[in-house]
Amino acid sequence: MIISRVADHCFWFGRYVERAESTARMLAATQSLALDADLEPHACWRPIVVVSGEEDQFRERLAGGKDDDPVWGDGERVQDFMTWDTESGVSIVRSVTGARWNARAIRDVVSLEAWESINELHLWLDDGGKGEYREHRDAFYRRVRSLTQLTLGLLRSTMLHDDSLDFMWLGVLLERVNQTARMLDVHHHAFTAISQRHEVVDTALWLSLMRALSGFEPFMKQNQGKVTSDAVARFLIGEGRFPRSVAYCVESAHDRLRAIRPPAERELPGGQTLERLRLLDEWVQARRRGPEPGESIHELLTHVVDETGAICVSLGKELLGYG
Amino acid sequence: MTQALFNAYQPIAGAYDKLFVDGQPRPPFRRALEQLGAQTPSDFARSQALAERALLHQGVTFSVYSDSRGTEKIFPFCLIPRLIAAADFARLERGLVQRLTALGLFLDDVYGEQRILDANVVPRELVLGAAGYRAMLRGVKPAGGVRIHIAGVDLIRDPEGTWRVLEDNLRTPSGVSYVIENRVISKRVFPRALDAARVHRVDHYPTRLAEMLRSVAPVDSDPTAVVLTPGPYNSAYFEHTFLARTMGLELVQAPDLFVDKDQVFVRTTRGPRRVHVIYRRTDEAFLDPEVFRPDSVLGVPGLMRAYAAGNVAIANAPGNGIADDKAIYPFVPDMIRYYLAEEPILEQVPTYVCLRDEDRAYVVDHLDQLVVKAVDEAGGYGMLMGPQATSAERAEFRTRILADPRRYIAQPRVELSACPTWIADRGHVAPRRVDLRPYILTSREGPWVLPGGLTRVALVDGSYVVNSSQGGGSKDTWVLKGDAP
Repeated sequence: MIISRVADHCFWFGRYVERAESTARMLAATQSLALDADLEPHACWRPIVVVSGEEDQFRERLAGGKDDDPVWGDGERVQDFMTWDTESGVSIVRSVTGARWNARAIRDVVSLEAWESINELHLWLDDGGKGEYREHRDAFYRRVRSLTQLTLGLLRSTMLHDDSLDFMWLGVLLERVNQTARMLDVHHHAFTAISQRHEVVDTALWLSLMRALSGFEPFMKQNQGKVTSDAVARFLIGEGRFPRSVAYCVESAHDRLRAIRPPAERELPGGQTLERLRLLDEWVQARRRGPEPGESIHELLTHVVDETGAICVSLGKELLGYG
Repeated sequence: MTQALFNAYQPIAGAYDKLFVDGQPRPPFRRALEQLGAQTPSDFARSQALAERALLHQGVTFSVYSDSRGTEKIFPFCLIPRLIAAADFARLERGLVQRLTALGLFLDDVYGEQRILDANVVPRELVLGAAGYRAMLRGVKPAGGVRIHIAGVDLIRDPEGTWRVLEDNLRTPSGVSYVIENRVISKRVFPRALDAARVHRVDHYPTRLAEMLRSVAPVDSDPTAVVLTPGPYNSAYFEHTFLARTMGLELVQAPDLFVDKDQVFVRTTRGPRRVHVIYRRTDEAFLDPEVFRPDSVLGVPGLMRAYAAGNVAIANAPGNGIADDKAIYPFVPDMIRYYLAEEPILEQVPTYVCLRDEDRAYVVDHLDQLVVKAVDEAGGYGMLMGPQATSAERAEFRTRILADPRRYIAQPRVELSACPTWIADRGHVAPRRVDLRPYILTSREGPWVLPGGLTRVALVDGSYVVNSSQGGGSKDTWVLKGDAP
């Protein structure tokens, strides 16, 4: 049992830390892809903006309202936007500030060590991080990732495993479902459109996506080097042992919510959210080997993204004190 | 004896120096100062920089109100500790227990029978006309019987070395988290000096505070206590989280609480849960909009009804502002005589109450020698430092005093004692003026004084203002367990 407002901060703290990490990972992987593959620059960088959900803002503010502006393929501009833009809801600096702000509001809940690691990242972005970004881009992303990963690890190793940690982890997992589903969706669409006849390019693209999701090695182990778009999609949707797959994240989120609000305790608030998450879990488990006949991957992933959004809204109403 | 760090140290003429006398360490502090002084200035600068970075990373900061970006700063501090001899502190402790006992009785009295007003020991109009007096609380007995659960009393030492009370803080005194954090740093940086000096610990304060809060609960078994904060934008927010964390209590904001049938509850993810004790770090004006500020949306509607019904203890009790009113302060020695039939142990600073005709006449004629304070302001605001002020500033205060005499008191400027302090931008040690704020917890069993306290230091050369909002910093305060012969 925790205070609803505290649960809200816990949830958003988890989401923002995960978001910062995932943005840093995605930018680092794309930078490496841009150097390797013979791709049109806009085919590398545009998907990043699309996945972030800030496509409209980018078009209005940076691309002069046009879809064919060269800025869509300008890796530096896209990275600046995704790293430093304070109006973009997904930039690293916004996510870290958000994580730190939420953690500060619950300083009595977050363990001192976890707090110090996110605070250190926040202070570094404002100070030494700017130079590191200019001079050693890869080291910059590595630092962001390692401090966010350290924060997430410290939460589990230094905090009581009680409701507050469950809410943080629920935030992490729901954010992660969203990230994986959107990244797979956008890339699946873009890659199948541009590279139907270039097997080498195709492989490079899919492996870059796997790197962006820290799934390269697990995937290779699983598939013994055979890289196809279907295999990648099956892995990222249905591999229940891979901690960033849709199936794993939804199932784990369901577990966390069951710990917070046990199904048997019907008088407690949270029943509708729990039921909706249970249904999504069931739905995803039925598609571990891929979409049902007649269903596209895009449709499958859209359903996941929409349901996750609806679950967050319901969670806010029932448990986080949104009224 | 030559000491690297203190080699060139020159005390301020005419001020009591905490650590040195006639160019030598004061005898009780010799062992500690030998250890500290063995460092070179460059060792010291490195330790100071490392300690400051650790504080920033840990978020041991205060928010700067004047800065709209919500900037946080570390409370500047100096690694050179301020030492207090065992015998000195023992006397201080007795004096504080006596003073807090009398102030508690005074509050019970003015919100009860008002015997002290009938006896004319404290002028009736001075009490009943004060902003800090809450007439609607008369007749309300707080759960647990305590009103001043947590007090911070500001003291100075005059050139003769006599402790004098400067003001009592009986509403929401802050700063104790720095006392504990500063000690953590001293332990890390000066383990040998600390060991040689034999210093009282301070880190058990949160445990004592939690015990005290439980002791005043309106139920016997398993009470729930919470810390009530105005939120992350409050300048003392770090301290609120620090105390909640170290006591293991929930940190709540007003919207988390609600009142039903005169009982207080907190909203949780599993529905409402009863609250028995609130350690509030909010101003009392924002406790309950039904009572204090009908125009305000802040606070917990009905909280004062629950309090009056005896269903929740609030620490500190609402209404305490009358006892730490600067215009009531001159009467505290008389209160001690009246309630306890004892002579006050601690001295005060002589004070002119501008409401009195003869005092006011003296004050407006001697503004160049006096410090004038508005009774309802704190933090070093609303103050005239007469000897340093311009004649225009003095003329302005003269007008203000004559227009609203109840609002002002005046005191002669007392030379504050000084303590060797590290001056970072010059890389050397120089004397700076300090005060001391010890903390006193009062449970059902009576007052207890933390053997330590917040030493605030005026870091600006020549300054007398130690408030953190005006260029003050802090030092660790070492209260010695025994004095060397």
